Amino acid sequence: MDNSKTLNLNVRKDFPILSKKILEKKDLIYFDTAASAQKPNTVIDETNDFYKNHYSNVSRGVHTLSVESTFRYEDARKKVQKFLNARSENEIIFTKSATEGINLVAQSFYEKFMQKGDEVILSLIEHHSNLIPWFFLRDKYGVVLKFANIQSSGEIDIDHFNSLFTNKTKIVSLTHLSNVFGTELNEKAISICKDKNVPILLDGCQSAAHLKIDVQKLGCDFFVFSGHKTYGPAGIGVLYGTENLLSEMPPYQGGGGMIGDVSLEGASYAELPAKYEAGTPPLVEAHGLGIAIDYMNKIGLDNIIEHENEITKYAFNKLDEIDFIEIHGGDNKRNSIISFNIKNVHSHEVSSFLDVEGIAIRAGHHCCQPLMKHLGVNSTARLSFGVYNSLEEVDKFVIALHKCKEFFNK
Amino acid sequence: MNDLINDLYQEIILDHGREPRNFGECEPHNKSADGHNPLCGDSLKLTFLLNDQNIIEDIKFTGEGCAISLASASLMTEKLKGKKIEVAEEIFKDFTNLVSGSDEDLKVLNEEDSLYALKGVGGFPMRVKCATMAWHAFNQALKD
Repeated sequence: MDNSKTLNLNVRKDFPILSKKILEKKDLIYFDTAASAQKPNTVIDETNDFYKNHYSNVSRGVHTLSVESTFRYEDARKKVQKFLNARSENEIIFTKSATEGINLVAQSFYEKFMQKGDEVILSLIEHHSNLIPWFFLRDKYGVVLKFANIQSSGEIDIDHFNSLFTNKTKIVSLTHLSNVFGTELNEKAISICKDKNVPILLDGCQSAAHLKIDVQKLGCDFFVFSGHKTYGPAGIGVLYGTENLLSEMPPYQGGGGMIGDVSLEGASYAELPAKYEAGTPPLVEAHGLGIAIDYMNKIGLDNIIEHENEITKYAFNKLDEIDFIEIHGGDNKRNSIISFNIKNVHSHEVSSFLDVEGIAIRAGHHCCQPLMKHLGVNSTARLSFGVYNSLEEVDKFVIALHKCKEFFNK
Repeated sequence: MNDLINDLYQEIILDHGREPRNFGECEPHNKSADGHNPLCGDSLKLTFLLNDQNIIEDIKFTGEGCAISLASASLMTEKLKGKKIEVAEEIFKDFTNLVSGSDEDLKVLNEEDSLYALKGVGGFPMRVKCATMAWHAFNQALKD
């Protein structure tokens, strides 16, 4: 279990919060990166520096601070473009969250390309943020939603998925990496969409910091992710969309910054990407996201992925050996996330017990209530890993789990 | 073992969490409400019979949840059965103060009460909702 320690030792010090003592004495073991990642010093310092030395509104004024702010904001867009390997900066829209990105696509895509009775394909493992925006279309406009089944491995049942398509299917929206199972989407799902000429949106909230993303290679039409799960600030999200689709779709919100020309009779809209960025954007947060991307690039995404895969595999095998643990999903293509239950102990109890041991895990339905119902559980406990975690932390966690089981079954 | 955990999970809580009392549906009943914690998915259904003297003759609940929410509901039904509604409302207020770590003086509850075992929830702010879910359902049923 020694291989990945070097990487861990090198980066833990980059995250000031990790030296915090829980309840004044316990070392923090942070296993909740899937909910939100911790921030490295560079992100914290650079966002501070932005407010202290460069802050003004973007793309509006002509004074020095306006130039400095605009430069940082647009530089962040370039970094995101490279990070996703998008063809152009015009394909990168800054939003306040991944959730906003999905809402934007649902609303604007519907307006341009859909009508009552048209169909959207989703799946049973989607996060509420990739369900409710589409529920809105169903409730408001009579759009029909279809849901792909999942297999016990946690992967989408590709044959069932394939069978859901009709000539009324207009768009597909699926998670790229399940926030409950940690399973990666089968690439076949994307190629099926390509064959049928139906655009596909990938929810990349869990994949962006844990897989290498190349939107061109993936072949997706839309990709969303959030800054806070990729070591950047909360309040910033990214929507990637092909220039074709983004050009044809109407703006999502109206306001300052997204216009071409306005008279009292009407308005024309700005070119991409400004067309979709009404109002003053989260400019400091965008800069922070750019710095977070720099941070990941400095460590190297390949290193990060190798490190996390090793921890995930190690933790999976450790948990799999324990007879009172039930792991949800299989071990196939699992990345950085493991959901489990201790038999006869509610996940809340597990989480509270581990909390006083200094270990932060998530407990609950993970914003996936339909999936919980399918699994026949009310909630699960979830471990999720980031660049700062180590195998020793997993060992400590396993010891704490045994103590927890003993405590509640005494 | 950590004191916080021992405070939170006193024997009586674990006992009522494992084997909730008054579990089921009250038949007949004239008051009911659902309790739901949307952040975690725990839920319960509370039913009770209020007689013409405003006394809670019988009270039961069903549902699924963590040890804290089940124990709290179980202890609540034990405490409220046979109580006048005015007294029950006072207990509700006291209990809410007790588990939310409020400084307000308790009027009807004291350390002798089994409900006092839930005071440890105050050390876990995110669990207060687990402890109050059944009580809010009770309060809701009175309003309906």
